[in-house]
Amino acid sequence: MKALIKKDIYVIWKQMRMFVLLILALSMINNTFNAVFLVVWCSMLPYTAMAYDEQSHWDQMAVMMPYRKRDIVLSKYVLGWMCMAAAGLLCLVMQTVIGLFSGRVTDISTLFVSLCVGAISLDLTLPAVLRFGVERGRMIFMVIIFGAVIGAGILFDASASIPMLSITAVSWLLLAAAAVLTAISIPFSIKLYETR
Amino acid sequence: MNAIELKGVNKKLGSFAIQDLSLTVPMGTICGLVGENGAGKSTAIRLLMNAMKADSGEIRLLGAAAGTQEFDEAKEEVGVVLDEAYFPETLTAIQVSKVMALTYRRWDQRQYEEYLKRFELPEKKRFKEFSRGMKMKLAISVALSHDPKLLVLDEATSGLDPISRDEVLEIFNEFTRAEDHSILISSHIVSDLEKLCDYIAFLHKGRLLFCDEKDQLLETYGIFTGTAEQADSLRKEAIISCESSGYGGVRALVRRAEVPESLELERPSVEDVILHMVKGVRK
Repeated sequence: MKALIKKDIYVIWKQMRMFVLLILALSMINNTFNAVFLVVWCSMLPYTAMAYDEQSHWDQMAVMMPYRKRDIVLSKYVLGWMCMAAAGLLCLVMQTVIGLFSGRVTDISTLFVSLCVGAISLDLTLPAVLRFGVERGRMIFMVIIFGAVIGAGILFDASASIPMLSITAVSWLLLAAAAVLTAISIPFSIKLYETR
Repeated sequence: MNAIELKGVNKKLGSFAIQDLSLTVPMGTICGLVGENGAGKSTAIRLLMNAMKADSGEIRLLGAAAGTQEFDEAKEEVGVVLDEAYFPETLTAIQVSKVMALTYRRWDQRQYEEYLKRFELPEKKRFKEFSRGMKMKLAISVALSHDPKLLVLDEATSGLDPISRDEVLEIFNEFTRAEDHSILISSHIVSDLEKLCDYIAFLHKGRLLFCDEKDQLLETYGIFTGTAEQADSLRKEAIISCESSGYGGVRALVRRAEVPESLELERPSVEDVILHMVKGVRK
């Protein structure tokens, strides 16, 4: 699996450089939407790698090599988590540095929520993309991503207006949802990928 | 032990089907897989490597049955080159080696670098800037740099110019000097297979028409050249296919055992046998 992740990092490295710049620029603005947007956007990087794979027909080669199909699928999840974690960490560092000068408190709970939303969007979209490919899975992917982002926004609004549902509660709820969905999504993706 | 064993393998793909495919490649031999476009050569290779699940039948790779953990481990000892080198286009030869070093336990960096030098491949140029020949050479370098016991080559020489092709065939020949090294190679270029192979397997519309030792194949058949009347006088079972030679005469592929010994026959090439077989089947 390490080989597959390394290959994906080489493939998306050019894109990642752009992401790093974007993250640096956007994370200077301590805004809930920015953090969610950045992390969820980074969770999509595996799809960029998969698009390159399809373009070069790498998947045809990969199934001939000693990679298990399980590892091919898992590597996409791990890549997504790594990209999200890197984006979250960069946001955190930037906001902390800016906070030292402006006195603004770093919004860790928002970052945590962003990571959960990113993981959930990956769990919801990866099975379809792994089964149908990036091109055909794009529509399903778009619907799910927009649904996840709008859903997160509604949840945040609700947490602000309902005193019972604090940001901490939302965070725990999302963490639980991410854990459950990941536990379902990975075996489901492996099964779908095996039937390709 | 056999390098490759396919027994009664069936796979339906829409209107096309691999039917009852049984093929054995003994260890230490080179088997050429021949067939027209769409005959099922690539599908057979995909089935062999378990890249596609067979509907029925038994598949063994270096003794390991498909679907088992041993089979995945056996893939470590197989070098694969497909009709195109399907590496991601943004990678360089150096990056490919770093990925392969994590893919194959027995990755030999020195060997890989030697092949890069031998093929004059640039280390830092992106794969998308490579010519088709260079891409194929890189794929061959990868396939040979992890101490494989079996090479599975699907049209691996098709993108190469005649000089490079000769060079690559020589490398494949070198590879099979070790007793336990085997090759399964599919190619349209039958002359390449004739140079290289011990066995020839002929696939036609998803069915294996024969898999014979090359020398035995060339001894079994002969080319008869003569008049149409002479050809008509031969037993029907003797003639595989017969065609006009363009000067009022005919040229036919015949079974040596079925014609009188006094009849003068030319030794056929593998290409003669294949072409006549296809024409015979079509009739």
